[in-house]
Amino acid sequence: MNMLASIPGVLDAAVLAQASAPAPMAQSQLAHYMFISAALFAIGLIGFLTRRNLIIMFLCTELMFQAAGVALIAFSRFHMNMTGQTFVIFILTVAAAEAAMALALVVLLFRRRESLNAEEFSEMKG
Amino acid sequence: MGFMMTLSTILATLASPIAALAQSEAAHAASQEAGHAAEHVAHAAEKIEAIAAPGVGPMWLLLIPVLPLVGFVLSALCAAFRVKSKLPAWLTVLCLGASFAVTLGMYLQVSSGQIANPSVATGFEWIKVAWGAGDAHSIIANFGLYIDSLTCLWMLFVTGLATLIGLYASEYMAGDVGAGYCRFYAAFNLFVFSMSCLVMGDNLLLLYLGWEGVGLCSYLLIGYFYKKPSAVEAGKKAFIVNRIGDLGLALGLMLTAVHFGSIEYSVIFAKAQPYLAALSEGRLGDIPAVVQLIPVLLMIGAFGKSAQLPLYVWLPDAMEGPTPVSALIHAATMVTAGVYLVARAYPLFLLSETALPIVAWTGALTALLAATIGMAQFDIKRIMAYSTVSQLGYMFAGLGVLTSTGAAFHVFTHAFFKAMLFLSCGAVMHGFAGQLDLRKLSGVGSMPGWRVVGIAMLVGCLNLAGFPVITSGYWSKDMILGGAFANPHMVAIGWILLITAGLTAYYTFRVYFRVFVGPKYFEPGDEVHGHAGDDHGHDHGHDHAHADHGDRGHGHDAHAHFHPHAPGWAINTVLAILAVAAFAVIGLRFVGGHEGWVSGLIEHSSANYGGHAMYAAAASHGGEHAHATFFGYDAHQAMMYVSGVVGFIGIAVAFVLHYAGRTTAAKSRADALLPLVGPLAKWAQGKWYVDELYNAIIRVPLLVAAHVFHLIDKAIVDGIVDLFGWVPKFTGSSLRPSQSGVLHGYALSMAGGLAVLVLIVVMVMR
Amino acid sequence: MMDRLAYLWPEIALFIAACVVMVVGISPSVATRKFAAVVAGLGVVAAGILAWTTTPSGNAVTASSGQVLLPGLALYAKVGIAIVALLLLLLKPGTVDRAEEAAIALGVQKFDALRTNRAEFFSFFLFSVMGLMLVAGADDLIWLFLALELTSLPTYIMVAISGGAGREPAARAQEASVKYFFLGALGAAVFLYGFAMLYGATGSTNLNAIHLSLTTGGVSGLALAGLLMSVLGICFKIAAVPMHFYTPDVYQGASPSVAGFLAFVPKTAGFLSLLLLASAVGWTWAPGENGLTVSGGGTSLPEPLRILFWVIAALTMTIGNVLALQQKSVRRILAYSSIAHSGYMLVGLIAGPGDGSFTKNGVAAVLFYLFCYGVMNVGTFAVLSGLERKTRDGQMSEIDSIEDIRGLCATHPRLGWPMAICSLSLLGFPPLLGFWAKLPLFTSAISAGEIILVIVLGLNSAIAAFYYLRLFGAVFLEKPEAGAGEVTASPFVSRRVAAMVSAALVVALVVVVGQLTDASRKAAAPKAEPAASATIPASMNH
Repeated sequence: MNMLASIPGVLDAAVLAQASAPAPMAQSQLAHYMFISAALFAIGLIGFLTRRNLIIMFLCTELMFQAAGVALIAFSRFHMNMTGQTFVIFILTVAAAEAAMALALVVLLFRRRESLNAEEFSEMKG
Repeated sequence: MGFMMTLSTILATLASPIAALAQSEAAHAASQEAGHAAEHVAHAAEKIEAIAAPGVGPMWLLLIPVLPLVGFVLSALCAAFRVKSKLPAWLTVLCLGASFAVTLGMYLQVSSGQIANPSVATGFEWIKVAWGAGDAHSIIANFGLYIDSLTCLWMLFVTGLATLIGLYASEYMAGDVGAGYCRFYAAFNLFVFSMSCLVMGDNLLLLYLGWEGVGLCSYLLIGYFYKKPSAVEAGKKAFIVNRIGDLGLALGLMLTAVHFGSIEYSVIFAKAQPYLAALSEGRLGDIPAVVQLIPVLLMIGAFGKSAQLPLYVWLPDAMEGPTPVSALIHAATMVTAGVYLVARAYPLFLLSETALPIVAWTGALTALLAATIGMAQFDIKRIMAYSTVSQLGYMFAGLGVLTSTGAAFHVFTHAFFKAMLFLSCGAVMHGFAGQLDLRKLSGVGSMPGWRVVGIAMLVGCLNLAGFPVITSGYWSKDMILGGAFANPHMVAIGWILLITAGLTAYYTFRVYFRVFVGPKYFEPGDEVHGHAGDDHGHDHGHDHAHADHGDRGHGHDAHAHFHPHAPGWAINTVLAILAVAAFAVIGLRFVGGHEGWVSGLIEHSSANYGGHAMYAAAASHGGEHAHATFFGYDAHQAMMYVSGVVGFIGIAVAFVLHYAGRTTAAKSRADALLPLVGPLAKWAQGKWYVDELYNAIIRVPLLVAAHVFHLIDKAIVDGIVDLFGWVPKFTGSSLRPSQSGVLHGYALSMAGGLAVLVLIVVMVMR
Repeated sequence: MMDRLAYLWPEIALFIAACVVMVVGISPSVATRKFAAVVAGLGVVAAGILAWTTTPSGNAVTASSGQVLLPGLALYAKVGIAIVALLLLLLKPGTVDRAEEAAIALGVQKFDALRTNRAEFFSFFLFSVMGLMLVAGADDLIWLFLALELTSLPTYIMVAISGGAGREPAARAQEASVKYFFLGALGAAVFLYGFAMLYGATGSTNLNAIHLSLTTGGVSGLALAGLLMSVLGICFKIAAVPMHFYTPDVYQGASPSVAGFLAFVPKTAGFLSLLLLASAVGWTWAPGENGLTVSGGGTSLPEPLRILFWVIAALTMTIGNVLALQQKSVRRILAYSSIAHSGYMLVGLIAGPGDGSFTKNGVAAVLFYLFCYGVMNVGTFAVLSGLERKTRDGQMSEIDSIEDIRGLCATHPRLGWPMAICSLSLLGFPPLLGFWAKLPLFTSAISAGEIILVIVLGLNSAIAAFYYLRLFGAVFLEKPEAGAGEVTASPFVSRRVAAMVSAALVVALVVVVGQLTDASRKAAAPKAEPAASATIPASMNH
């Protein structure tokens, strides 16, 4: 915080911060969050592509969703408005709905095939 | 004035009613004498202004085309529900009758001025193509109706006759009750709908839609007996020959759109205004060649649809269709579409130096040619077909010699008496198991039950022959003849038409004297109408007469047991109404405008458009007198007598050759004359071998070319096409493995695809 | 607040109908249960009427009443959606619970509200349509994301339960739902990440604000990345390359009634979102149309986005068409053709709105094509769902193989003719509706100067003729198979009705093509400049 206040351009923000509002985020700081977010997304994607278990695959997509969430919150902080955080709340809601659906689907599939291996579902092709 | 008086004294000794008329005509002509050129120009200017801005027509007018469409849908539904009764006929008569009633309402309102003349009633926006902002960059074709007195005239007889003939057909087609009956009435209704689009449309595209629609219905109905090869051939012939004409119409339409930037009549007429002004001032050079080309192209379409030289060959063959169809479509209404087109686009035709003379000459030559062929035929329905071609020729000649009133009046009267003639012939055909050869029928009119048909036939023949004074055909034909002789450039046409009038009277009464009077004799035909295409048995839905005699499907071997069955109430009623109507329309000659009711209508429509006056003015700029005379007499006056006399001569010749002294059906005195004319009679009977000529110069070369191209196609083009077909197939089969059906494969491909696409974008942006 | 609510009456109607359906559909009385479909229908009709009467359009639209970039879009899209949804609804009866209902009618089984799917099925249908309508009115990325998810989530379940009782069809439906759901989630994650980046680049999720930011401040690298990812993610919804792989398997596995739904609803949602996104970054209308002037933006899309769309469009139509050529399954043919149609529509998207006149307006062309495609497509899927044959375990299942539709015009004319007409129309055969739909795509692309793309489009239309004419020939020209008796008409009459209505519309709407194109042109009309400048700052603050 002190370091920020010493930079002339962000003095106003520092004043703002003292008036109990958080200070805006620097570009360099944003980059850190973005890196985390991108890494989460990539991990999710790679997991989705490599794992065969449907539940794990679904969790990987959840990871990708949350990567977007992290990015949104970071941007929200960067832009100093609440929209991004609002968005995240909705994403969490949708993710929950999707999770419920995924589990229901998984149960349905398991009942019939006794397996959750994604490769078993490859009857239709061409 | 002196010769007029002398003339009228001579006339008084002949027939006083004519004399009275002649005097009024003379007075009229005299009043016109005085400085008519200036008056005409003023007249023309006034006309142009009057027609320029159409009013807004009421929406109920849309019922006129919509009701037949309803009839079509109902008939189609009857077919879908496999109705096996005469229900579609009654539904049709109801719908068409209602449409006629609405038309009558329209006429009354137009004539009383409650609906502006002209006015446009826009149903809905149909086609609007815009390629930029503003009117200049769009083509608009609404489903709108252009209402003027020309529309009223045409729609009155179209819907009226359609109703009557629908009623007639309910009996005539009774043998086909079932799917065929529904099919017939569906096409019948669709025809009336298309015809009303054609006549009432407020733009050329709607006219074109109707034009193709009536062509389609004509094709469907000619080929109604689709199991009979000749009917199918005839249908194809009609369709193909009409295509040639339609090409002209389509080109004309496009050229209009390109040049005038619109295909709506109101806009075209307004934009043609400066050209008309130039014409009336004698500045023909100011009219661009494109504008002069438009009517020539439209004319080709008109010649195709109205069976004029050289495209007339389809109409006689079209008689393969059921007779009501021949009567309605191929005699009374559809074939007059060409006349309508010329009349509607008359302002454009006036702009061309060549268009109207071509129309006149084509019409006159067609009239003569068809009449000569008609003289030598033996099939009575075919004779009527040729007479239709011939009479259509009269109408075109009338338009060409600038008496659009005469042409329209002739269309109107011809519609009635020709429909009646066809229906009478149809009744004969119906009753005598398809017999139409005049050598095998005699004295039909005096057989029991055939009285109405005989009388109707006589009335029709008198009208067609132009029997003086008491027939409407006489008055309308007269107007055209008079117009031809009155036009100094068209006297030759007048002579051709006059000769044709004599020939017409001869071949008409040849039919009457041989078939309807004289010794009673008949041979039944070898087929029953509906027999060839009858796909569902003969016996259900028969009327009583059929069932009694059990004549169906017997043919020659049943000759001994054959009894002709006389027409029933529907046929007789319709014939009676038409016979009365054919006389009644004479009255129209003497009410309304100065040349009768029709002239009153025509003069307030685009078919006049100050036309006469304009042309007269243009001619007088050339220093010529606009009116020619017939050996010093006023042409209109003289024709009343001359054409009457010519008609008499024709009838008399027919009487001598085909009635007097005839004891059998097959032989008459005319046979003795045959050697005198040499091969001419044979050639005429062979229709001057026009079909064969067309075959040799058009069809055969095309067939040869088709075979040659077929070989080229097989050898070279197919190979290339196969290659083009093979490439996608090969690509497809090589891509199919990518659809492995495995979830991971898909996910991987998706991710890979994403990466590649992003890469492409990045690469390209670099 | 209230005026924004007033903007949502159709969705509210659908929501109420969905709630009622959920209750009605689990009634122990058969008649009441069956009434669920009627309630759904009433809901859709009400939504359509409300969309027609209450949706503000044109310059009456303010920032608080929905999206402003394409002010006329909501009215057109919602009414069109309601019409097609009504047709789609006709396919739905009998898709789920068929065996159970039969068993209950025979008295073999008792009704168990927990074991039936009817209520869920119909209410999910309504929810999905509701999501689609919300997409049409979206003005915010959050809204857009939620609406897209609302459109998609119910369809996953609909696919899963559409297999019926037969072992084989049920297994296929489940396989389809696995592929659809998991790949769908992947696609959603991709466009969600794109949305996040867009927000990061512009600082707002409001499309108007994004428009303002991108057009005044230029398109930054982050914004571009966000756009690319959003577009690629949404490509899953429209089944465009490279996100198309699921399509044939899902369309084949799901019952035709649901496949027909998938071919219209998610696809339309995707296209509407793409239109909104594209109008947020690029496109401006040349001045002159109705005296409106719009500032900012380019005359077409930003170049990277254009290239992206270009490649996607060309690949999508080509791959869709060539893969359809050698299929034996009608459902797969239609699935691949659905991919190809997305490719065609992307051409209109690339062309952009031109000068606003219809022939040059690619946006209007896309909107018009969506509606026409919806109508034609319902017809083909309705025919498939209207025919069935016995599976090995004795259950009835809808047909799939092209052998089964041979000679359909002769054996089942009420289904054969719609198939013939709709396949010709999908091919773009004049004068049917499909021809009029395809025409403006060509003209707009030509006037936008995309000549190569137009050639690709033309070649692809020719390739498409192969398989559409194969369908047409199968039903119209070929003789029925010897074992054709095994194929019987479905007992659910409404499916046949849908087929016939759709075919009738394909023919009859040609008469009013002028009005329809005019409506779509108005829907693609831009916002009026004075209103825009007044409202955008206000909307940024909300």
